Amino acid sequence: MARLNDGAQWIILMGFLVSFSFFFLAIVINQSTVVGQTTAESVIEFPKNDIRDVRDIIIRNTTVSNQTVISTDIKTISMSRKNAIVDYSAYLNNSADIHYNNGVTIYDEVWIPR
Amino acid sequence: MVIGEDGQLYTIEGFAAALIMILTAYLVVNATSVYTAGDTHISDMQLEVLGSDALKMIGTPVNTTMNSVDRSPLTEIIESNPIDSDKFNVTFFNLINTKSLLDPNRFIQYSATYTCRNINDNSINSVPIAYSRNVSGGEHTVRATKWVVVSASAPTINSNCGTTAAPKRAVLVEVLLWQD
Repeated sequence: MARLNDGAQWIILMGFLVSFSFFFLAIVINQSTVVGQTTAESVIEFPKNDIRDVRDIIIRNTTVSNQTVISTDIKTISMSRKNAIVDYSAYLNNSADIHYNNGVTIYDEVWIPR
Repeated sequence: MVIGEDGQLYTIEGFAAALIMILTAYLVVNATSVYTAGDTHISDMQLEVLGSDALKMIGTPVNTTMNSVDRSPLTEIIESNPIDSDKFNVTFFNLINTKSLLDPNRFIQYSATYTCRNINDNSINSVPIAYSRNVSGGEHTVRATKWVVVSASAPTINSNCGTTAAPKRAVLVEVLLWQD
């Protein structure tokens, strides 16, 4: 048998190495396009302003007479415009039970005036 | 004369390796400046915060003690008859554009409505307050909202949301914001 010329094996092996490293880099770059998306989405979907706002209006109006109308306003509009269930009870000493639930985030608070 | 030409192959291989390394470094350095889907959400977030802050500013009474009877500018605008669109437009537009007033091409536009419950049939009514430009549907808008308590006896509230003996009504001010 004639002597095998095996110089090309090295070249082919190096070729594999280089193409694998390119493949790896391509994956890195491909993944870099979605960096931060989940983070930003969860930040934007967390109803921080909604909760603050509804809490603010409930607490500010615990002393309004005839609570039924204003609480039905808040509950109905929250449901239809914000897809959130809001429920609260205001008591005679101006404390309030506040509940908020938009299907993802739930917030409950018992507010007592100082 | 016989010349050993192995060196030529090694030189070419060296050039090829150098090119690959430079290309790799170039790709890695450039990857940090790729504008990703997450970045669009960041500007949305900032726009929403800006709108919420501006609404909070015009929704705050001058006298901010708890359970204050003092009315905020936003309350006054909604209670006015007809709705004082000009006042809202001047105040709100200036607030959201304090950073970009020098460059009209970068104005942030808005369209504001308030939503109330019609006390007769529990339906929801949206009433326009003001807008800096019509929403055509192609804009990429974000929404900022603010609850406002208004006097139930205001004529515009009565005509849009029904009449009641209760002294106060709650309405939701909704603003769509977008940048040209």
